[in-house]
Amino acid sequence: MNTNRRGFLTVLALVVTAAAAPGAALSAAATEPATRIALPFAVDPYPSTYQHLPRSDTLIRGAIVLDGAGQRIDNADVLLRDGKITAVGHGLSAANATVIDARGRWVTPGIIDVHSHDGVFSIPYTSGDLESSDVAELSDPNAADTWVEHAVNPQDPAFPVALRSGVTTLQILPGSTPLFSGRSVIVKPVPAADVRAMKFPGASQGLKMACGENPKSYFGEKGRAPNSRQGEIALVREAFLKAKEYLQGWRDYESGARAAPPDRDLKLDTLAGVLTGDIAVHMHCYRSGDMTTMLGVAAEFGFTIRAFRHATEAYKIVPQLKSAGTCVAVWSDWWGFKMELEDAIRENAAIVDAAGGCVMMHSDSAIVGQRLAIEAAKAAAVGRRAGLNLPPERIIRWVTSTPAKALGLEDRIGTIAPGRNADVVIWSGNPFSIYTRADQVFIDGAMLYDRSNPRTVQEPDLLLGRP
Amino acid sequence: MRYSLSLIAGLLVTGQTTGAQTIAITHAKAWTLTSPDPVENATVVISDGKIASVTSGGAAPAKARLIDAKGRPVTPGLVHAATHLGLLEVSNATETVDSGIKSGILGAAFDVQYGINANSTLIQLARADGVSRAITYPAHSGVAPFSGSGVLLRLTDSSELVERAPIGVFAVIGGRSSSDAGGSRAAEWKLLRVALDAAKVGLAAPPSPTTRTPEFLALEPVLAGKIPLAISVNRESDIRQAIKLGTDYSLKIVIIGGAEGWRAADALAAAKIPVILDPEANLPAGFDELGARLDNAALLHRAGVTVAVVVVANGIHQSYNAGLSMREGAGLAVANGLPYIIGLKSITLAPAQIWGMADRCGTIASGSDADVVIWDGDPLEPSTLPVTVLIAGKEMSLVTHQTELRDRYLPKAGLKAQRP
Repeated sequence: MNTNRRGFLTVLALVVTAAAAPGAALSAAATEPATRIALPFAVDPYPSTYQHLPRSDTLIRGAIVLDGAGQRIDNADVLLRDGKITAVGHGLSAANATVIDARGRWVTPGIIDVHSHDGVFSIPYTSGDLESSDVAELSDPNAADTWVEHAVNPQDPAFPVALRSGVTTLQILPGSTPLFSGRSVIVKPVPAADVRAMKFPGASQGLKMACGENPKSYFGEKGRAPNSRQGEIALVREAFLKAKEYLQGWRDYESGARAAPPDRDLKLDTLAGVLTGDIAVHMHCYRSGDMTTMLGVAAEFGFTIRAFRHATEAYKIVPQLKSAGTCVAVWSDWWGFKMELEDAIRENAAIVDAAGGCVMMHSDSAIVGQRLAIEAAKAAAVGRRAGLNLPPERIIRWVTSTPAKALGLEDRIGTIAPGRNADVVIWSGNPFSIYTRADQVFIDGAMLYDRSNPRTVQEPDLLLGRP
Repeated sequence: MRYSLSLIAGLLVTGQTTGAQTIAITHAKAWTLTSPDPVENATVVISDGKIASVTSGGAAPAKARLIDAKGRPVTPGLVHAATHLGLLEVSNATETVDSGIKSGILGAAFDVQYGINANSTLIQLARADGVSRAITYPAHSGVAPFSGSGVLLRLTDSSELVERAPIGVFAVIGGRSSSDAGGSRAAEWKLLRVALDAAKVGLAAPPSPTTRTPEFLALEPVLAGKIPLAISVNRESDIRQAIKLGTDYSLKIVIIGGAEGWRAADALAAAKIPVILDPEANLPAGFDELGARLDNAALLHRAGVTVAVVVVANGIHQSYNAGLSMREGAGLAVANGLPYIIGLKSITLAPAQIWGMADRCGTIASGSDADVVIWDGDPLEPSTLPVTVLIAGKEMSLVTHQTELRDRYLPKAGLKAQRP
């Protein structure tokens, strides 16, 4: 699968560079002799039109910096230039840069919410639920052909609230009712009337999948498959078998072994992208047995599950998660409201991290998404009580660099290091304190929020002119 | 990395404890809530399940069991102002849920006291999280306008938790419930008034099955002003209707929710109506909450309204994480302008006042119940944890389903188990 994968990646990369010119990517084959044609399902027909907001170079002085890579640097300066972080250190100076005195304040990478439904579970929620909730297409347990970005309401008031909370990147996932819930989209919470203007340029998509109670109970109650866990797995395997065939068809066409391309199939497009490794799988599972079963399915078909979502029993299977290279995205303390959450424990994140696994906090909620650092703080507190060493510079990774890795964006966001996007938050104090607020939030070097000037974040259109 | 045992060893004392024992908590930073500042280096003496004294640097009685707080904060036990603790276990397993009724004739007479499960793991966790009392109330019913009657629980480790029943009668009014009344909140308000009118007439008449219906009897203490009518409302217009209802019928009204309470803050203060609110509710989640904002608690307090804090979080935190979430919510309210001491009171004394038991709990004062928590840090920081929980002068176990799972699986993850 490796050479195929390389070819696939090349095409995607070219799509990225040609982001402003939809469709141009199909000419990519010209620059890649090993690839005769582009795999059409790798092309994003709806590329980002995001433009950074007005910005000036900024020198943040004298802060306590948690760099997201595991370091705490006291009394440090951070230089943001042309939308990038260009220097981190002591005694920096820069001509023509706006200087912000951050003595006594803390600076972290922008917070990344890897599991949001903002824009699709759009507020206000109303009884016209079908109109207000586009969280997933529920007509079929396989909704792999759906792209959540086609439903995102950029006017959801949750976005500016997320920004004010220090969130600079969100992955919007469809809901977990279908087995294959659809493709995700990664956005920046910038003011926009068009989701494409929020899309993170060049970010690859994910596929949300679900296991356990949700799919079988929803479809089972409707007299449809699946109505059991084994039924879920059978459908997943069947779908990937077809996807393998489909991908082989494209490979044969690519190599000239067949004259005509296979008929396009939007569901199989997505699953083929999973098989080539270009679409990351984000899988909703709670129970340890559900997760290990899905790891087995992934091994059978030769793909990696990037991250389990919720994963309340991850602490029971850390070795299996580690050997599969699969991360978990978890809450600090949600438990009990479904049978499969009965064994959720608050030490989940701490145990996975201390045992060398890959863990991050997630929100799943526009309310929790405003306090992801507090989620980390709560999860770490119980870990410390259990004797685990979890200082601030370690746990900040749970909401910055680790989710960046889970999104395949670790070379661009999630850490404060030269060359990274200037997505930075200046906090009024320790970000793990409930009393701390985001003072300034930068995305690509532009200060999108300044707490001392509330007008930097617009009122949502919804609330405009209302009493 | 070392995984050392750091478990508060100095605070754990072996041997059975009973409520009758004399205990002295020494070196405490005691938030008595009878004054705006804590008593530093406090000695809190507990005897026969009651607070005997709180003195700075005071001597412990000779035979007292000593608990050295080592300078840590000590507060009254948390009082949860509105939860469904004891009425549910797994919310999507309906046979484990007793919090509400979808149909039937009971109305206000639906009384949750008969459904309380003292062995619920939710109660076990709430107790270990420092909750010593909780108002457990019926969930929204399918029978407008009343949900039923709620009770006061005292979370001792006994099998009998109901301390007072009924503690109040509960109703839900607003856009999400109006379909139960035919499709209009106006009908919900009218049904409420009709029910109160009918009860008044019936209760004034000679006793008979038609003049002493279960609902009339349930409303009797409400009409007499002995217990509150607690109404879950969020929109300003409904909050003002609740105020008017209270005036018209001379009722004690409690508002639950009150997302737009700040818009009616002065009227609520004038009517002495307290609000039990969720400080995390800052989004226009529905058309009844378009005015939701983070400083609702601060604005209400500034106007003179008594505020108690609960966190709902889709119903998850309200019951599953009752203790932890209310502290986080109070901290958030403080971060948004509520004075610190009022934040502490919003999860202790204020709910005690709202539900008419401030004579017994919500403070650490001579003669009040010895429900006391020692914390390992600022109690309004969600990363703070309880170190010792005393209810009725007895040390509670902090072992839960969750801690047992932790200790079973830590070694399997290659980490050292922490159980002493």
